[in-house]
Amino acid sequence: MTVYKYFTKIALKNRGIILSYIFIFFLISLINGSNITEREASFVPVELNVGIVDNSNSQLSQSLKDYLGKSHNLIEIVDDEEVIREQMFLEVVNAAIIIPEEFDQKVSRQEEAIELYRDDRRAESIQLQNQVNKFLTFVNATYEDGEFNLAEVKLALDEEVKIELIGAEEKVDNYGVAAWFKIYYNFASYIIIAIYIAVIGVIMSDFTNKNIADRMKMASKKFFTFNMEIYLGQLTVAALITLVFILGSVGIKWRDIGGVNFSKHLINIIVFSFSILCLTFLINNITRNKFVINGLSTALALGVSFISGVMVPQQFLGDKVLAIAKFFPTYYYVRINDMNINSLLDIRYELSMQLLFALAFLLMGLYFSKVRQRV
Amino acid sequence: MVVKVNNLVKRYGDLIALDHFNMDVEEGEILGLLGPNGCGKTTAINCILSLLEFDKGEIELFGRKMTPNSYDIKREIGMVPQEVAVFENLTVRENIDYFCGLYIDDKDKRAQYVKEAIEFVELESYVKFYPKKLSGGLKRRLNIACGIVHRPKLIFLDEPTVAVDAQSRNFILDGIKELNRSGSTIIYTTHYLEEAETLCNRIVIMDRGKNLVTGTKEELKAMITTTEKTIVGFAENKVEMVEKMRHIPHVIDIEEDEDDYIIKFENGVNNLMNLLEFIKENDLVYTKLYSQMPSLNDVFLELTGKELRD
Repeated sequence: MTVYKYFTKIALKNRGIILSYIFIFFLISLINGSNITEREASFVPVELNVGIVDNSNSQLSQSLKDYLGKSHNLIEIVDDEEVIREQMFLEVVNAAIIIPEEFDQKVSRQEEAIELYRDDRRAESIQLQNQVNKFLTFVNATYEDGEFNLAEVKLALDEEVKIELIGAEEKVDNYGVAAWFKIYYNFASYIIIAIYIAVIGVIMSDFTNKNIADRMKMASKKFFTFNMEIYLGQLTVAALITLVFILGSVGIKWRDIGGVNFSKHLINIIVFSFSILCLTFLINNITRNKFVINGLSTALALGVSFISGVMVPQQFLGDKVLAIAKFFPTYYYVRINDMNINSLLDIRYELSMQLLFALAFLLMGLYFSKVRQRV
Repeated sequence: MVVKVNNLVKRYGDLIALDHFNMDVEEGEILGLLGPNGCGKTTAINCILSLLEFDKGEIELFGRKMTPNSYDIKREIGMVPQEVAVFENLTVRENIDYFCGLYIDDKDKRAQYVKEAIEFVELESYVKFYPKKLSGGLKRRLNIACGIVHRPKLIFLDEPTVAVDAQSRNFILDGIKELNRSGSTIIYTTHYLEEAETLCNRIVIMDRGKNLVTGTKEELKAMITTTEKTIVGFAENKVEMVEKMRHIPHVIDIEEDEDDYIIKFENGVNNLMNLLEFIKENDLVYTKLYSQMPSLNDVFLELTGKELRD
């Protein structure tokens, strides 16, 4: 087992790369963990600076302004898209509304009646969108004989319902823990891709260096045995790295682990790790260049994580982006982390897809390996 | 016969790298494989070691056909490549142990072999050093240790003294002789002809994928036209004398070497006497006059020509 022994030894000599990635990951996870509970446990309405352009000056538009003015700070702005976007960029306003001249007619015809600009950097600006939608829905409901009953709308909008959730605290807590696990394991996928490709790729570039490889081909150790020891070495290094992330989640949230479907995350990360190991195998058979491998480690990990919903939730990504993301196992891995499941059967499709990718990477890797041998 | 290569042909598209190349190596000898750059030395070695597929011909090592799966034959072969082929992330001892482990499974035996290889190349003080911390000469010694640690019976050394200082070169050459004395058969490729002259029992000179000649250095020297070289220096340099000297019997070529002339004679008697007579007849005063047998360098240049190669 000399090859296996020295493979793992060289991996340990690259511990600087592994530890730096792991350190950053856990630091972010700890920071994220402390934030998420606070955020999920309470809801506080936020007052926004809303830029407004009223080209209608009707009773209806005034009513809308009155309604929004109760919860936000309204600022009159000029009707120029460029200026509006600049003001949002400079955070003078967090959102802007343009009420068109034929506002009343558009509302009555149930057409899109308002132009709304939101600053995506302020998540709470979604609140404004909801309020506008609510107002228009109510107004439409009172439309009769060509007129809106604005007094009734005002009454309805002023109505407040007190809701008491039984066991709300526990639910909020559980929701917070589930969200933490989801973010933790989603982000782990980015680190796994980066570390696997960087560490295993760099070690393999040593083993596949032509001069060293020729020495090995000359040796009396059988090619099959040699390869098996190399694969076992890769598997060991990969398993240890993934184990660190699994144990990390248990270590940080061991008290709350009963509140989430931990087996889902466990199986998911194991299957995902295997598919990324196969991807690493493919990359190592395509290139031996350490600079290319390091570049791929960063670019692939970041790029794929972004389009697959690790950094930004999949719901906020465009259809085209998600269509591209489907050609990579991370998409299916993130989907599983985002899903609420009753049994493991619910994630069989996503798991199968990851395994299929693993198989495809493996076969392509074998093909390139054969091509290399012929050269 | 340890190595027998018969009519080996290797093509790269239209280019013929080996053109019916033949080579035999007897047990216990040091065979020098010489030739200009790109003549096919490394291709021949790679084919012999099954690192390259070839188009035609037969290769036998230790009386058995050599294939990529001839693991029992590979056990008996050591290879020291031209480039230093070691792991930068492993220390000197770890590197030697790793390459030994590709041949020897037994842990104790391996430890013993590694210790002896380290002593052989005198790297005892550097066992914990990483290759990047070693000088060029020390790296070459590590490269050799990795190739011979499993005590092979047949060792291929591909220009092992390239880019090392005189002391390291001397140390390496002594080591090769020692390996040979302890029973290893050695195939040695080099560009340093004086190394081949002092080290090798037999020499193969190849060019354009063919073996031009094979024999001991004496046999090779007997094959060329030049049998004697006389170096003469005159007190007064007279250029017109060169043309006159060409008419001395058996002179085949005259080369100028700074203020001296190197006069090459073909096989003949009284060459020196004839030259002295010429000097006397022309009232010349010589400051230097001595005779030399042709070197391997002369053999090499006469056989492969003087035009520049890649």
